[in-house]
Amino acid sequence: MTARLTLPARLDLTAAKPLASDIAALAGDVELDASGVTHLGGLSLQVLLAAAQSCRAAGRSFAIVAPSTDFDAALTLFGVDPSHLTRNTAA
Amino acid sequence: MSNDPMAEIRASFFVECEELLESLQDALNVMDEGAHDAETINVVFRAVHSIKGGAGAFGLDELVSFSHRFETVMEEVRSGRLDPTPEAIKLFFLTADLLQDIVRATRDGDAAPPGTEAVLAALETLLGEDGLQPEEAIDFAPMALSFDFGVTTAPDDAEREPGWSITFAPEAGLYTSGNEALLILRSLSQLGAATIRCLIPDDLPAPTGENAETPLLSWHVTLRGDVTEGDIRQVFDFVADVCRIEIAPLGHDAGLGGDLSALVVDAQEDATATVLDPAAAPPATDMGQTDGANAEYAADAPAAGRSSRAATAGAQATGANEPAATVRVDLEKIDRLVNLVGELVINQAMLAQSVEKAGIGHQSDVMSGLESFMMLTRDLQESVMMIRAQPVKPLFQRMARIVREASASVGKEVRLRTEGDFTEVDKTVIERLADPLTHMIRNAVDHGLEMPERRRAAGKSPEGLIVLSASHRAGRVLIEIEDDGAGINRPKVRDIAIRKGLIAPDAQLSDSEIDNLLFLPGFSTVSEVSALSGRGVGMDVVRSAITGLGGRITITSAPGRGTRFSISLPLTLAVLDGMVVQAADQTLVVPLSAIIETARLEPGNIHHLSASGEMMRIRSEFVPLFDLGQQLGFRDARHKAQSGIVLLISQEDGRRAALIVDAIMEQRQVVIKGLGQSYGNIPGVAAATILGDGQIALILDPADLVRAGTIPSHSDLKAAV
Repeated sequence: MTARLTLPARLDLTAAKPLASDIAALAGDVELDASGVTHLGGLSLQVLLAAAQSCRAAGRSFAIVAPSTDFDAALTLFGVDPSHLTRNTAA
Repeated sequence: MSNDPMAEIRASFFVECEELLESLQDALNVMDEGAHDAETINVVFRAVHSIKGGAGAFGLDELVSFSHRFETVMEEVRSGRLDPTPEAIKLFFLTADLLQDIVRATRDGDAAPPGTEAVLAALETLLGEDGLQPEEAIDFAPMALSFDFGVTTAPDDAEREPGWSITFAPEAGLYTSGNEALLILRSLSQLGAATIRCLIPDDLPAPTGENAETPLLSWHVTLRGDVTEGDIRQVFDFVADVCRIEIAPLGHDAGLGGDLSALVVDAQEDATATVLDPAAAPPATDMGQTDGANAEYAADAPAAGRSSRAATAGAQATGANEPAATVRVDLEKIDRLVNLVGELVINQAMLAQSVEKAGIGHQSDVMSGLESFMMLTRDLQESVMMIRAQPVKPLFQRMARIVREASASVGKEVRLRTEGDFTEVDKTVIERLADPLTHMIRNAVDHGLEMPERRRAAGKSPEGLIVLSASHRAGRVLIEIEDDGAGINRPKVRDIAIRKGLIAPDAQLSDSEIDNLLFLPGFSTVSEVSALSGRGVGMDVVRSAITGLGGRITITSAPGRGTRFSISLPLTLAVLDGMVVQAADQTLVVPLSAIIETARLEPGNIHHLSASGEMMRIRSEFVPLFDLGQQLGFRDARHKAQSGIVLLISQEDGRRAALIVDAIMEQRQVVIKGLGQSYGNIPGVAAATILGDGQIALILDPADLVRAGTIPSHSDLKAAV
């Protein structure tokens, strides 16, 4: 079963907490739609990375689908390999 | 030192290579012990990969090609397609040894070592039908390397440009005060060519509403270009109190204390550097075409949390913990410092002497001040000497290779265990220890350990064990080589010594005296010369090398249980305990280690052999007698049958000789001063020193002096001058 969540446009300070709670509520494999993201902040990035790590540790797949150009650009600026978030699915 | 920046980077690459080769050996050892965890295999892979990458940046094709093939095989192991069997690991050791040879040959501009093709062919066989593909292009992406040139720009450009290493770790207040890491990173990347790497902890807690606002990510930024520290600080102006920042010029490691630097190490495998160019060039790292480093992440992803723990465990197992903060200093600079401190010690001694001459009482402030000054200089001297000290680990690793090669050539199974790898010894001592140790290790493999069948028959494991250990003991370094072989065959040693005329057939010798016969020149226990250790060099050469270092070597052996050689060495070669003597109005220093005893010379004990030869009888033993003053050409033959003082010295071969001196002044520590190349090699003189009164005195090499003394050319020489 794959749980899907569409990420809000602005993932800034105020978005981090709700994002964490929303992701924590998801069961099974996780797919996050990042097509509409226009801003990605450091805290939200951390939430996403943490979610990716904990899903993998639990053997669940984690994927960010259809990342927007802004999302990718932010990852590049953050020095984060997109494969940490987008490419990996649990075997 | 060269001013050519490229030559310097190249030199630092080769230093880096040595370190990588060291960790490669470590990891192979761990694999050899049966640990095939991902992290250990990764260490091997990364070391080879990094060497290849650096070599690529310098266009060292041969090195690139060889390491590429090695890397390909390790990639197969890492992906689980190739099983690291003991045979395969043996081959990896061989390949690593060869890689080391190639690195060194490349560094020194020598011809490539032989045997490359054979090893590559063996690797190919290991791979099966897939074979080895020659490298198409150097797909070098930055990994956990301290030299990350070749990433943004051509290496020479990159190095010519000044740059900064910035570590930036937001704290709780940063985000909540409305600041944003992204904006700071963007500002930084606008200052120059920035390589940004996000340091992601391996153990991020699962996201919850509570922990979402606790910053755990940090960043490392390499900034190249014409940027001042002030420019960088300005970027952090508003957040300086809510984050931790470390700014250091490139080449210096930036780290924010223990936890963060640990985090840097952890994150290195996971983090991918992003290269940003303010000139709007596209990122240089092609995310789609990830190389091994990232592919590895994909493969290991589900085990990410576990693998980080495995990594820590692996690191502890290998003893290769994260490196302590270090600086690389040119040896010349250290030697200058050592020299200066030596001058200081001499100066202090001179000062003490003049104060004493001035008749200032011992209770005075001047004297007590001088005493604490003396203690400080001693401490300073010791600390400076310790800078020259290095762990013996690289030396021991070389010995591991000798064991592998030697055991293979004689068909014995041998395991080397090293202890005290991190014991520190003076660099020169380490360098000069390599040859004698090599010889002793070969001896242990060749003569010390039995063939597997004999070991089995004796109820031992067919695999022989050699333990090489180093430790500090009572201000000296103790190095021991111990094997669990058959021990010294004393009746055989005795027979050989009698046959070779080294001892009288009826000599009564204790066990240890028999053992010590091994050190006599011209002694060799094997009748036929073996390819390995019987090269006409015996243990006497080993002993003379050790004595040359101011050391002693002893041997203990238990029949059936093995043999142990113990080498005791001084911690440093810069100071020496000497006896200050006078001969023919000259002040001279004789190393204390060479003197067995001092005695009075009574005319009645002198026996004349020929016109020039004299013997002295001491405790019913005759030893050749030499006059120090005459031997050095300070005076003509002294008056015969005159009494005096003799120093009984021991030669390297165990024979003794007596040196006549006029007076013994004192026993003291002296700072060794080299005589420089311009004087050439003076027989009998090792070095010089400056005494407390400012006088220069020669430090003698008595054994050499006595050896030279057998050629009666010194007085002729003096006549000619």
